[in-house]
This record gives sequence, C-alpha cells and structure tokens, in this order.
Amino acid sequence: MFTLAFDLPEGLTPNLHLLLPEFIVAGTALGAILPELLLPAGRRAAATAWTSLVGLVCAFVVILVMGPSRELAIQVMEGDTLVSGLRMDAFSVFCRALIAGGGALLVLLSMPFTRRMDRGHGEFYAILLFSLLGVMFVSEVSDLLSLFVCLELVTIMAYVLAAFRRNDLKSTEAGLKYLVIGAVSTAVLLLGIGLIYGFTGSMSLEVLGAKVWETAANPEASLPGIFLLGMALLLSGLFFKIGGVPFHVWIPDVYQGAPSPVTAFLVTASKAAGVILLIRIAQAVFVRPETIAATVDNPLAQQWVVLFGAVAVVTLLFGVLSAIPQLNIKRMIAYSSIGHAGYLLMGVAAIASGGGGQGSGAQLGGEALLYYLMAYFVTSVVAFAVIITVSAASKNVPGGPHGAKAYEGLWSRSPFLAVALCLALLSLAGVPPMSGFFAKFLILRATIDSGLYALAFIGAGAVVVSLYFYLLWIKSLYFSAPPEGAPTGDDFRISVSTRALLWGGMIAMVLMGIWMPPFFTWAHDAAASLVAIAAP
Amino acid sequence: MNPLLLVMLVPAAATLALFFIDADAKRAIRSVATVATGLVLVIAIFMFIGFDSADATWTANADGDSAHDYKYGFETEWVPQMGLNFRLGVDGMGLAMVLLTALIIFAGVMVSYNIEKRVKEYYILLLALVTGVFGVFVSLDLFFYYFFYELAVIPMFLLIGVWGSTTKTVDQNYATMKLVLLLTAGAVMALVGLISIWSEVGSFNMVLIEQHEFSKSFQMTWFPVIFLGFAALVPMWPLHSWSPAGHASAPAAVSMLHAGVLMKLGAFGILRVACSYFPQAAAEYLPYLVVLCCMNIVYGGLVAISQRDMKLIIGYSSSSHMGYVLLGIGSMTLIGMEGAVFLMFAHGIMTALTFALIGWFYDQTHTRMLDDLGGMMKVMPFAGTLFIIASMASAGLPGFANFASELMVIIGAWESNLWLLIPAILAIWGLVITGVYLLRAVKDAWFGELPERWKDLRDQRTFAERFPYVMLTGVLLLFGFWPQPMITMVEQGVKPLVTRIDEGREQNKKAVQIDVPSKDAPANDAPAQGEER
Repeated sequence: MFTLAFDLPEGLTPNLHLLLPEFIVAGTALGAILPELLLPAGRRAAATAWTSLVGLVCAFVVILVMGPSRELAIQVMEGDTLVSGLRMDAFSVFCRALIAGGGALLVLLSMPFTRRMDRGHGEFYAILLFSLLGVMFVSEVSDLLSLFVCLELVTIMAYVLAAFRRNDLKSTEAGLKYLVIGAVSTAVLLLGIGLIYGFTGSMSLEVLGAKVWETAANPEASLPGIFLLGMALLLSGLFFKIGGVPFHVWIPDVYQGAPSPVTAFLVTASKAAGVILLIRIAQAVFVRPETIAATVDNPLAQQWVVLFGAVAVVTLLFGVLSAIPQLNIKRMIAYSSIGHAGYLLMGVAAIASGGGGQGSGAQLGGEALLYYLMAYFVTSVVAFAVIITVSAASKNVPGGPHGAKAYEGLWSRSPFLAVALCLALLSLAGVPPMSGFFAKFLILRATIDSGLYALAFIGAGAVVVSLYFYLLWIKSLYFSAPPEGAPTGDDFRISVSTRALLWGGMIAMVLMGIWMPPFFTWAHDAAASLVAIAAP
Repeated sequence: MNPLLLVMLVPAAATLALFFIDADAKRAIRSVATVATGLVLVIAIFMFIGFDSADATWTANADGDSAHDYKYGFETEWVPQMGLNFRLGVDGMGLAMVLLTALIIFAGVMVSYNIEKRVKEYYILLLALVTGVFGVFVSLDLFFYYFFYELAVIPMFLLIGVWGSTTKTVDQNYATMKLVLLLTAGAVMALVGLISIWSEVGSFNMVLIEQHEFSKSFQMTWFPVIFLGFAALVPMWPLHSWSPAGHASAPAAVSMLHAGVLMKLGAFGILRVACSYFPQAAAEYLPYLVVLCCMNIVYGGLVAISQRDMKLIIGYSSSSHMGYVLLGIGSMTLIGMEGAVFLMFAHGIMTALTFALIGWFYDQTHTRMLDDLGGMMKVMPFAGTLFIIASMASAGLPGFANFASELMVIIGAWESNLWLLIPAILAIWGLVITGVYLLRAVKDAWFGELPERWKDLRDQRTFAERFPYVMLTGVLLLFGFWPQPMITMVEQGVKPLVTRIDEGREQNKKAVQIDVPSKDAPANDAPAQGEER
C-alpha cells in the first residue's frame, strides 16, 4: 500500500481519486506527444489524433460514471470555512462532461487540418488537450486563486494555438493580438482579485459571498468602493474571455486569423470557460444562502443586474449588427459569437437578479446558460466542420477560401455540406426545431421570469436581426448560382471523421431542439446544485 | 390512434420518407406527397363529421356559461420540470382551420405536379411547412404553439427563394427575406408575451391558462404585445407590407398555403390567445382595432385597384379581406366572431383557388401583368370559368361561403354599433371595391383580344389536373348553400370566447364604478428588477 512520505497540513483532504478524469486528460496530453517521437512521419497525424480522441472519450465516460460527489478534491479547510478546493457538484460534472465530450468533437474536427500539417501534430493535440483540461478545472474552482491559475492554463494554451500556423501572417497576427490584449486582461483580472482579497481577507468565493450578504443583513455596514472596483475588474477579465463589449476588440481578428479548428475551440470551449466562471461567481455572490432570511435583498443585486443587463444589450446589438455586412464566414461567426455572448450575459443577469431555491432566477438562468453552452458547442462544431471542408477545396475561389464566393450555390455543388451548414446557421439563429431555439427560449424565459422585460424584448428583437444575416448566408448557399471554377461534388474531400461528425452533429442539433427532456434534465439538475450553496 | 396526432405525424413521416427516395423518381415523390396529404384530408373530414358526437377531452371553465370543450385530445409529458406537455386538442374553431389546411395542402400538392426543378426538396419543404401549420392549429400548449409556428416560417423562405418567381414588380429574394423577418419579428414579440403568461401561471397548458384569472393590469400590459405580435401575421394595416410581396413571388402552392392558411395563423392566435386569455383587455382595446381594420379593408382594396400584376391584386385583396376578419373579431358579438372564423375558412379556400389558377397560366405565359394578357377565355375556358367563379365569391356574391360569412361579419359590426356604424358601412362599400378590381382583372385577362403568342396555351384537361380546382370550388359552393354545419361547429369554439369577453366588459364597468379614486393603483407587473419570486 502506497502511503505519503510526509504529513499532510492540517485541514487538507486530498481526495485525489475524484480527479481521475483530469488525470486521464493530462496523461493523454502527454501521451499524444509520444507518437511524434516514435512513429515515422506519415503515421504521426492519425496516431496522435486517435490517442487524444480515445483519451477524451474515456474521460467523458469516467466523468459520467463517477457522477457528482459531495466531497471536494484537494479540499483545504480553515476551521469550518472552506479556503480552497475543487468542487465536484452536479454543475461541474455537467461542465466537465460537456468539455470532454465536446473536446472529442473538436479533435475529430481537427483531423483534416492536422493531416495537412507536416510537423507538430503532437504539439497541437497536447496543447489543445491541456487547454481543455484548464476548462475542466475552471468548472470546479471554489477560490479566486485557482480560478486565476485554471483560467491562465486555458488562455496561455490558446495563445499558442491561435498562432499555430507560424508561417502564416494572419495566424501569427492573431496570436500576437490575442496575447497582447489577453495579457492586459489578465493583469486586470489579477488586480481585481487583489482588491477583493483586500476586502474579504480570503481567496474563497464562499467567504466573498458571505461577506456580501453580511452587509445586507446589517443595515449599518456597506461595501467599500475598493471592493466594488475589484469586482468590476474581475468581471472585466471574464467579459474579455467571452467577448462582452467593450472587451470584444480582439475577437474578429483572432477568430479570422487563427486556424479554423482553433477558432472552433475559441468559440466553444474557451468561451465556455468564461461563462462557467461567470456562473460560479454570480452564484457565489447573488444566490441567497440558507442562513439569510428571504426578506433581505442582496445589496449588489440592484446595480449588478443593471450592469450585466447593460453589457448584455450592448454586446448583443453590437454583435448582431456588425455581423450583417461581413463577407468572410469566419469573421461573420466571430461577430455573431459576440452576439451570442450577449445572450449568455442575459442569462447571467437573470442569475444576478437574486434569490435562491427552485424556480429562482438563479435556477432558470443557470439551466438556460448550460443548455445554451451545450447547444452552441454542437452547432459551432458542425458549422466549422463545413467551413474546414469548404475552405480546403476552395483555395482558388476569388475572395479567398473563407469568402462569401466560396459558399455561393453550395447547394448545387454539395447538397450535404449545404444542408449541414444551413441547419447549423438556423440553429445559431435560434429557429425551431434546432437546438439553438430551445436555448434562446430558455434564456428569454429566465429573463422574463426575473422581471427583466426590457432585456427580454431587446433579446427577442436581436433574434430577428441575427436571423437576417444568417439568412443572407443561407440565401447565398441556396439561391445564388455557383461561381465559375468553384469546386463541386468530389472536389470536396469529406473525410470519414468529418462525415461522422456532421451526421452526428446534425442529429444532435435536431434532437436537442425536439426531444429536449434528457438534455434539459441534465442542465436542470446541474443548475439545481448551484441554487443552494452546498455545504463543504 | 388519435386523429390529431395522425394529422401531424402523417406529413411529418412523409417528409422523412421523402429523404430516402431517389431524387429522380419524381412520380414516386409526388405519389408519396399526394397520398400523405390525401390521408390527412380524409382524417380531417371524418373529424369534421364526427365533431358533434365526439366526447370532450378537456373542458375549460366547466362550471360557468363559458364552458369550452376541446375534443380529440392527446397528451404526453414532455419537459415536466417546466410544466411543458405535448398536448393536442381542437375546438370548433381549430377544427375549421385544420379542415381548411388539409383541403388547401391537398390541392396544393396536386397543382404542384408541374414543378420539375428539384422536386424532392420542394415536397420535403412543403410537407415540413404544413406539419408546422397543423401543429399550430392543434397545439394546446403555448410552447409548441410557438414552436410549430416558427417551424412553418423557415421552409417558406427556401420555397419562395428557390422556386418562386422574380418579375418586374417583385424581386423574390427581397420578398422572401422581408416575409421571414416580419413574420419572425411578430412571432418573437408574441413569444415574450407568451412567456410572461407562463411566468404568471406557471404552465404552458392552454386549457389551464384559459381558466386563470389574470389581473386587469396584467391583461392591459400584455394584450397589446401579444395582439400586435399576431396582428403582424394577419396582416393588419400598417404591418401588412410583407404579405402582397410574398404572395406575388411565391410558387403557386406556396401562395395558396400562404394566403389560405398562414395569414389565418395570426387571426387564430388573436382569438385563441389574446382575446381568450385577456377578455377584459380585449373589451377595452378591440374597438380601436376596428379603426385599423377599416384601413385594411379600404386601403388594401384601393391599392389592389391600382395594381396590374394579378398576384399583387389578389395579395392586396387578401389583406383587404383579412380586414373583414378583424372587423368580425373587433365587433365582439357572437355573430361577428363566428363570421370572422367562417370567413377565415371561406377566404382561405377562395384565395387558394385564385392563386392556383394564376399559377396555372403563369407557368405557361411567364407573365401576370394584365397588360400582357387578354382573351384567355378562348384557350382555357375551364380555368377562366373557375376564375370568374372565384372572383364572384370574393366579391361576396350569394351562393358562396364568402357571402354567408361576410354577411355575418357585417351584421356583427352593425349590431356592435361601434363608431357610429361607419366601419359596417365601409365594409359594405369594401365589397364594391372588391368588385371593381376583380371584374377589371377578369375583363383584362380573360376577355378581349387574344394576343397571338398565347394561342397555344393549355387548359386543364385531365382529371388529375382538374380535380383540385373542382374540389375547392365545390367546397365554396357547399358551404355557401349549406353553411349550417360549419357555423354550428365554429360556434362551439367561439361562443365561450364571446361570453368571456362579455363578462370582461361587465367587470370593466364594475371596476370603473368602484375604483374611480384609486385609478392609479400601481401595476403589479411593472418591470421590477431583482424582484423576488
């Protein structure tokens, strides 16, 4: 029997077995480098990709089998207070399963891309997996310090990925821009954490929430301005991650310049990291602990709902309006992803509207956000699978491989790709029977039920605007004549992995839009674990 | 198996089946579509015949005068966490619309036999569209009500954009984009209202919501939102501009469905949701609606007079006639509302017939401009005769269902005594305007000199070609001479609604007498941010 050679500090319970999925992903990331060293050049791409895929699928299964646990991994207690630890509640199980499962889709998506590279396969998948690992950890954090570390694990890996095609000017430009702006936002985030620590004297999110509610219960106490500034800076750092206006400036250039599979990663997993953290923080600060009477109002709720709501509105309108004139599909997706960040922030505003327990804004907002992330993940992967296939065949089309010309008349050139992209765009627009519809419906439901009617009306109006620019693309897919010399039929090499991904993704999109009960139940139960702060 | 479930599942199954049929097997594709829609029509007719004797599955307001039976009910749990069930059921109003849709789609599938371009995709989209339309009329759950509505809009976009026609009057890309965006804008506006109903009641169950007593201020806040959302689909003036353009550029079968059924979705929503749930607000607001629908009748008719494109004439005529539907609703009398629903049915059949006929000759002439046409009666007497019959029906000639229903609407408007009877009088004159543009269209297109190039136009000759037209004309005549079964059925759905609105009006009067001083009591549903549940 293996025993530790040193005594554990008092209050520390490791519970490392709970982190088995994370160990699997980390091990796979290291393992993905091995084929690079051992195998001949021709077989490296497939070997690394399949290793990563198997690892992520294993992690996905293990997460689901293990399920939620009331224990925390690496739990550090100080008396009765939780100082630090990795939560294993239903929420983190949902997020980790989403990231591991979605990560497997991202690996499938990257296969055609890495097959065309002559070196660096191992690096690509190792970095991607470490970044996914970061997102998995992000969903577990219970203190600001591990929040920072996990988020940086995601972000730093993403810088490298964005600049992965180092001979390509656009890609290096994307990496540099992302790095510079990202570094600033990291500094802002860190400063925010420092200021908050100055007020609470603890890194723990639980202590942070308790302090806020304490001032609510005590009429003489008030929250110092420096603490509010700290919170604002912390949230700014997270708004940067998800692309909330005015922290969105990096998004169009980075999304356009980065290699397409990396853009897919940024749109899905990386954005999910920001949203997950926003949910965690909003939950810690705004959900009423059981010890607080229902008559007491959260002192921050009034202003912060307005803050979240205002950022959501600006983000939403900026995103959907700027997406209209775009002639490059990746740039269009970039702006539309800013629009989606607006919807996600609407859900956060619903959480912040306070209260706790079943049926509260926190419950409805939480489940809406989780469903949205899930639907958005699958939809984006399908869209990018088409984008990667089309761009690989359309090098010589005027306007570039991602230009609007490459998509004109795609219906008559490759009906399968056209249908897949059409369904994905409709899902992004939020049209039934696609998954995106139910996600947007849940967001609207959460905001309306929290009494945020103005926000709901603007969100609903933005659906129409976003439908407009998605339909512009669908119009060119279906109504336009194919341009001269554009690839047709077998010119599009749809590999087996991509074909499987497209079929699976399309079925999943429609299922999540029609037969939503199982998916909704997962999101619902995961959000329910947030409503009351679980005892450590 | 439940007939309503079948009505939805048969076209849905046919849509799926078409995916697996080879695109070149056009006969097989057409047969599948025809058999599926024919089956739906048979089911709808059986439901219509057996409606009186069918047992009520659910009854809203069982105790009062406004007992409202929903028949042929079907229910299965969907998302229990948010009180969402997949629930189907119809009252007389809903069944009238189901019958209308079934008739039109069957005719629409048959008149689309001459489509040769991408037949498979065409029928897939057409059947998906009609699945959505049936879904709206039979859903008794607000979520699915909206779900099916939006489901019907998107196939429309592709159907018009790919198979539609661009003429010098209307660009199809422009028309289809405008149609989808305006329909969606109306729908999402209504959606916000529907969700706020959920937030108040805690369920999407429409039978349950009907029994919920909403506070007056809640009704006054949300009635306009939901009403305007649906009114954009009717289309009510001034939100109507998507509709004529959409009609004009759509292929024949889609024009038929669009004018025949999709426009009715809005009026159906106004009756089923806005008026039924918010009777007090309806009693307050509907008189103002009457002013707008006069604009529909007169303005729509006058614009139709100035058009030279036949589809645009019928398009504007449709929005003019939907004014009568709104007038019937706005009259808030039993006979007026019955007339409105009956007119929805009659107008649907009539416009479908007209659009099918226009589609028939447009396929050959590739022009619909009155100036290019003329004397076609000589080469296509069958189509010409039916066109004149449809025009007469539209102008309200006795013997057609349109006459019976328009008469009921006008009597209702007269009875309601609103706005010094001006709307009722305008409505009567509206029929004269209808006569002007339709008779002129008949004269210019069907009579006069036959241009040399139209000498070889083909008339409908075979049974399969003639059948859909004869069927629609037959329905118009049948219910024109014998409207009683339809009126009885519609009354079953409309009467509880009128009773509720009357009760609402009484409550409003009482409230004014009692609370004159506290008129400015704070509205309990005003947006309160950070509100606790």
